[in-house]
Amino acid sequence: MAGKYDVIIVGAGPAGLSAAIYASRARLRTLVLDESVPGGQMKTTHKVSNYPGFPEDVKGTDLALAFSTQAERFGAKIRRAIEITAHDLSGPVKTFELDEEDHVEAPAVIIATGAKPRELGVPGESRFRGRGISYCATCDGAYFDGKEIHVIGGGNSAVEESLFLTQFARKVTIVHQFDHFQAEPVSAAEALESPRIEVIWNSEPRAFLGETQLERLRIENVKTKEVRELPTDGVFIFVGYTPRTDLVKGLVRMNEWGYVETQEDMSTDVPGVYVAGDIRSKRFRQITTAVADGTIAALAVQKFVKDHR
Amino acid sequence: MSEFVKEITQGDFEAEVARSTLPVVLDFFSTECPPCEALAPKFDAVAEQFAGKARFLKIFRQGNKDLASRLGVTGSPTLVFFQGGTEVGERMSGEEIKRTAIKAQVEALLAVR
Repeated sequence: MAGKYDVIIVGAGPAGLSAAIYASRARLRTLVLDESVPGGQMKTTHKVSNYPGFPEDVKGTDLALAFSTQAERFGAKIRRAIEITAHDLSGPVKTFELDEEDHVEAPAVIIATGAKPRELGVPGESRFRGRGISYCATCDGAYFDGKEIHVIGGGNSAVEESLFLTQFARKVTIVHQFDHFQAEPVSAAEALESPRIEVIWNSEPRAFLGETQLERLRIENVKTKEVRELPTDGVFIFVGYTPRTDLVKGLVRMNEWGYVETQEDMSTDVPGVYVAGDIRSKRFRQITTAVADGTIAALAVQKFVKDHR
Repeated sequence: MSEFVKEITQGDFEAEVARSTLPVVLDFFSTECPPCEALAPKFDAVAEQFAGKARFLKIFRQGNKDLASRLGVTGSPTLVFFQGGTEVGERMSGEEIKRTAIKAQVEALLAVR
């Protein structure tokens, strides 16, 4: 027997959990599925400074917990560490098989699977993942206590996580492809002033090298074409994100970068399939914009479910 | 933690991993690590499925730094697989470890025995 819901939300980040709050408050039977624990990218962000309502910085994990607790208070059911092993979203009844054994269905879904850290696609990257290469500073920062490490990137994540990593590492060298940071001015200035942070501008990684462990990073200066190898204890990569669209690939319309195209109400070409958050084609991807998407999607789904009852 | 998963320290490595007659899956975890939290229930579930056929062990990285650096583990969570005391197969690390992937790798180890 399949578990029947009014709406199934996939992804428990800020978009999915905001949708869950609105949907469950509207008394829709609401199920949220996540392959991890709730929070999405928030939960591995060490601090959030720009989310309204928190005059002081809030830890990403605390914000994640607040979102999920609020959604559960209104009756949304959140299933954690779930793997979707089969699914069909094309027809009027959307179905999911969970962990090869369980089945759930609903007339409407909100896909809020977000985006994941982008890989560089540089030789050695997958080989040394977990052997010196990391994509999560809160998870792995402590491994590099007293070490000399490198950070690749120059956006908000790269700069803010570099500042966080100076708590552990003796020295953090940021390698950035341009001659200035794309990060917000406040964090960028803080990084430039930090005695523990150095920056190598106009340079891109070309290879990760070592025997069984990452030992060296090969970089190229994109202006002078000079190539050199730097000894390193570890490299953190923060070079943007790539949308997680496995569930809707081939089903809904996407833009050239793989983000899903929606109407203003978050609906897609397929009736009953809505998307919200970072997975969606849009200009800005912030916690606040994800929250807005989730809200709109849940309000649109309410009407859709009512009309199709 | 389920009854099918045992937490060890680096002092137990010889007895629990190196001399194990069954295949071993060793999970390095940390605190303040949401991907580790996410892996735990999947790890427990797979451990239960292979009860008696393979051993599922956990080791707290912060308390066992020497073993982590000897094996070259620099991220949490990291799963390291052993057969006859030797590391085999691909390590798995980070947030994207799937239950079906762990299962498939353990099944592969059992098939070559």
